[in-house]
Amino acid sequence: MSLWVDQYRPRALDSLHYHCDLSNRLKSLAACGDFPHMLFYGPSGAGKKTRITCTLRELFGPGAEKLKIDQRVFLSPSKRKIEVNIVQSNFHIEITPSEAGNYDRLVIQELLKEIAQTQQVDLNAKQRFKVVIINEADSLSRDAQAALRRTMEKYMSNMRIILCANSTSRLIAPIKSRCLLVRVAAPNREEMQQVLQYVSRRVGFDLPPEAADKIIDDSNGNLRKAILCLEALKMQSPDLSGPLTIAKPDWETYCHKVADLIISEQSPARVMEVRQKFYELLSHCIPPTVILKTVADRVVERVDEAIKADVMHWAAVYEMRMRIGSKKIYHLEAWVVKVMSIYKHFFYDMDLSGFD
Amino acid sequence: MAATAFVPNGLLGSATSNTFKPNGLLSKSAVSPGNEAGEEMEAESNVFKPTGLLGTKSKSLSGQDGGSVSEDASLETQTLSELRADTQTSSFSFVPTGLLSKSTPDISRPSEEEDSSLTHTTTTGVSNNTLVLPRASVRATTFDGKTVFIKRKPKTVQLRTTAASTSDRRLDLLDEPIHRLMEKVRSKQSERVIGPSTSKSSALEDNLWVERYRPQKFTDLMGNERVARDALNWLKQWDRCVFGRTNGKKRKRDDNENDIQDPYNRPREKILLISGPPGLGKTTLAHVLAKQAGYDVLEINASDARSGQIIDDRIRPALESGYAVRGTKPLLAIIDEIDGATGAGDNSNTFVHKLVQLTLDKPKKDKHRKDKNSTRAILRPIICICNDINAASLAKLRPHAYQLRVQKPSDIHTVKRLREICETEKLRADSRALSTLVGIAKGDMRGCLNTLQFIRSRSEEITEPMVRAATKGMKEADSSVISVLNNLFIPLSKKRVKDLNDNENRYVSRLSHEVDACGRESAIATGCFAHYATLRRHDPSFSRFEKAGEWLMTFDTLSAAMYNDGDFALSPYLPYTLVPFYPLFQERGAPRIERNQDDWNNLQLTKTNEEIYRSLVRCLQVASTRNGGDFRHLVNTPILQLEFAPYINRIINPPLRPVNSQIVRPEERAVMSRLVDIMSTLELRFVQERSDDGQLSYRLDPAADVFMTYDGKRAADVTVSRYAVRHLVAEEVDARLSSRQGDIVVKDKPTKQKGLTSKQKDPDEDLPSPSKRTKTDVVDIADRPPTDFFGRPIKVSNNAASLRNGFAKKYPVTYRYKEGNSSAVRKPIKMSAFL
Repeated sequence: MSLWVDQYRPRALDSLHYHCDLSNRLKSLAACGDFPHMLFYGPSGAGKKTRITCTLRELFGPGAEKLKIDQRVFLSPSKRKIEVNIVQSNFHIEITPSEAGNYDRLVIQELLKEIAQTQQVDLNAKQRFKVVIINEADSLSRDAQAALRRTMEKYMSNMRIILCANSTSRLIAPIKSRCLLVRVAAPNREEMQQVLQYVSRRVGFDLPPEAADKIIDDSNGNLRKAILCLEALKMQSPDLSGPLTIAKPDWETYCHKVADLIISEQSPARVMEVRQKFYELLSHCIPPTVILKTVADRVVERVDEAIKADVMHWAAVYEMRMRIGSKKIYHLEAWVVKVMSIYKHFFYDMDLSGFD
Repeated sequence: MAATAFVPNGLLGSATSNTFKPNGLLSKSAVSPGNEAGEEMEAESNVFKPTGLLGTKSKSLSGQDGGSVSEDASLETQTLSELRADTQTSSFSFVPTGLLSKSTPDISRPSEEEDSSLTHTTTTGVSNNTLVLPRASVRATTFDGKTVFIKRKPKTVQLRTTAASTSDRRLDLLDEPIHRLMEKVRSKQSERVIGPSTSKSSALEDNLWVERYRPQKFTDLMGNERVARDALNWLKQWDRCVFGRTNGKKRKRDDNENDIQDPYNRPREKILLISGPPGLGKTTLAHVLAKQAGYDVLEINASDARSGQIIDDRIRPALESGYAVRGTKPLLAIIDEIDGATGAGDNSNTFVHKLVQLTLDKPKKDKHRKDKNSTRAILRPIICICNDINAASLAKLRPHAYQLRVQKPSDIHTVKRLREICETEKLRADSRALSTLVGIAKGDMRGCLNTLQFIRSRSEEITEPMVRAATKGMKEADSSVISVLNNLFIPLSKKRVKDLNDNENRYVSRLSHEVDACGRESAIATGCFAHYATLRRHDPSFSRFEKAGEWLMTFDTLSAAMYNDGDFALSPYLPYTLVPFYPLFQERGAPRIERNQDDWNNLQLTKTNEEIYRSLVRCLQVASTRNGGDFRHLVNTPILQLEFAPYINRIINPPLRPVNSQIVRPEERAVMSRLVDIMSTLELRFVQERSDDGQLSYRLDPAADVFMTYDGKRAADVTVSRYAVRHLVAEEVDARLSSRQGDIVVKDKPTKQKGLTSKQKDPDEDLPSPSKRTKTDVVDIADRPPTDFFGRPIKVSNNAASLRNGFAKKYPVTYRYKEGNSSAVRKPIKMSAFL
């Protein structure tokens, strides 16, 4: 028994609810037999992977849905064992190289060569090539991407690669130029409403449009989140009557609390308090960039128009430094101090540096 | 007489107290000034007295010998001791009642030295007198209340007569500071010492002083008496184990406690861990103890390789045999500088881990020890020595060791010992110089001695400026993270500034050196980060904090570039990014910095939570294997933490009422069954647990509910399901899980199942190769999934299985060989093989 997210995931290109022209294009691509390497990109929860699965089905028929999941162990040069989960059918293989951390190059090299050098053995297969799906392609290291680029050309006859990424900015240009770029945009409100209603109909209950609206508000274009949220809502209040509270993820609530703390008081003591909160968030494995972004969004919502740009600017600056650095908490706190300083200066409308 | 009368004018410090005692001087009894300082003071008091109010007597005194001494007084080398001698003699000659001589204390110096001084002084043409003074006995009261009088040795006082100095010269003495005067006295005294010790020291000239003056006996040890005693006590506890002797009632009582745990009469802690800053004599202490208690020493120090291997190769064999190769005494292992050994991390092959294992080894009960792996218990003491008790590598050792901490002995003791050494080495040292040296070295005896020897190689005199010059390098010696942090945030005390002879404003080189010397920049940065926001709380503009943040970020950027990209050329710049905290945040009188655990705690917590995420991922992966890859998209990193973890908690915590499953409403029943479905699919279960107060509770496993618990509080919108509900759910889930396990066996591996049933009947059956037999399609008997010759799995046709079922049921079997069905090699086989 699966969660609704998976249970009601469309299986075929025809049954997709939105981006119909994209579906048509994919269908014709699959039909013409000259299938290129592809790069699907777009925000989280927009339906990239769903579309990839559908395209596979279009290419190979229902056989592509018979999945087998196993674990492969790769040996690093220093004899460390790296375990990578592999999802495969007879026609394709799906990997997430970021599981291997720094050794993703190794996984890419070994696995791709192995696949690329064997031909499709199933004579009944519709296509002569196999497909390799690489998830989280934007977290591939430089080396891994470089390893990919030549393989993509060399073994074109045996293999197609489908990359899946949130943004193309971290992929090197040679890869982008070898792929057909497909952007999957987040669904708009009507589309999300439609999907949510579809899900609730399939499950067998009536979803009040207001409740769906609330969910859509919170989910920010992330359909996966919306459906998870819907299921949580249904479990929490099965009859969906009375005033509904849409559950926000806890870390988000907590981030908002942090933002409120920053705005309500600017003092060294408060800095320490905020630091504790950051530690708490980090210990829950919330990615620091997400923390910074969520808190900054909330702060910007609440401050005066005049300093919004400043706050965002510094958030961007510190986020970049945070990616370069290794000790995330320093950067988070430095941003907090910066924001407090900006806010205080604005509030008193004068230069306080003379008081020092 | 005149002198005593005169004293109470308060000019003369301690001398006053001596002379003040009303009848002390008169009755010859009570006064016994202890130290040399008192002696000198007294001398001075004698000297100073004739300054004014003194009546005719003193005038006449000075008048009497005035003329003859005036030329002596003009000499620059004129020393106080001579002066003192003058006054003593002069007053003695004047007041022959012995009143004054009584107040002169005995010089605490061996008699031969006195003799030498005597001879020395006689050469300078001074005549001597010896005065034997009877001393009053000391009265003491025993526990019984009896009064006991203890007689004291009569003391001998050397009195020298010489031509005394003039009184106007004595007036000049007031301009000179007291320490200068004392220097003079001291230099005079050490001059006297030189004579006899020359022959002895010349023989040893090539040694390091550190070696030459290393304590050899337990009684030679200086300072830290308590630690030494404790350590010896601990070592003595081994006596019953090592030497098999029992001595003393007290020991027996101790052993009664230990006997319970240890069959070999070993003390409870089998390792002694001595820690403390360098140069305080930890290694010496260990060696002296070993000698004292009658052991041979097996020393392992940083010069040996110290991997886990060495324990197995060297230490264990040596300690198991218990004696050195040709030694007669039992062995004692001293592991020096253990904080440099491998030990951090979870690796079980580290030195420290193995060492702990060594002591924990349970003695094997069974007599025959034929297998190599069985180990004997270690019956010899082990002493470990380290500088930093908090070193990460010692974390495992600490709970198993008896810890002793060597403190810096008080400066007075160190100075005293140094002075004795200086005297034997005919090095003229004034006490100010020595105490400066000890102050700079922070009690490091070894450092002091090396410095002294270094100075001795150039000159025969040691003065304060020389000490300062020679100890330039010592300033930055050994600093722990905490002390560096303290220096970064707290300005130097005025005294220390003077000690270091440093310009307060030139802090950059001092601090950067210190940070560099410590070598743990990232720990210091963490400390700075933890601490800076607690300071300067009244900064209105946050400018300091912003700057601090900037510097920390610079540090982080540099160190990340260093460690991630291997750009180690950047490392010299790291210390400079931390120095700015000094001008930004230094505050006089700020509280000292304590070790801040926040960052560390956060790290530990993160690790725990990552582990929970990992087990959650495993659950998801299992679920996705079972459900045709359904859950696999939820496994990826940001989605798992940001979306799945918070919502799954809400999905599996519906507000259910704790009612009997028979009377529950249909919609609730639906929720319940859905909940059980999801939980069993994900293999999340409620595990029963008994808390400390004996209350039963159900805990979610894996503990995914930490992800909606922030600051120790659960999310407000999720109800905590009651015990009864969880009980209900847990039962259902467990039932579902166990039934599913049965399903899987039946569905996936039917052949295996049947193979097993048939297998159970005859265990001696694997002989014929299964692959051949499966090809014959007769039966499948292997206990592993059947494969063909090429290792491909083979599907056994239904009729074969049913055939075998038939076999299994009725015991008397009929069997017919199907001819021509196989191309395989034929082989005779017993009937039993197929059953």
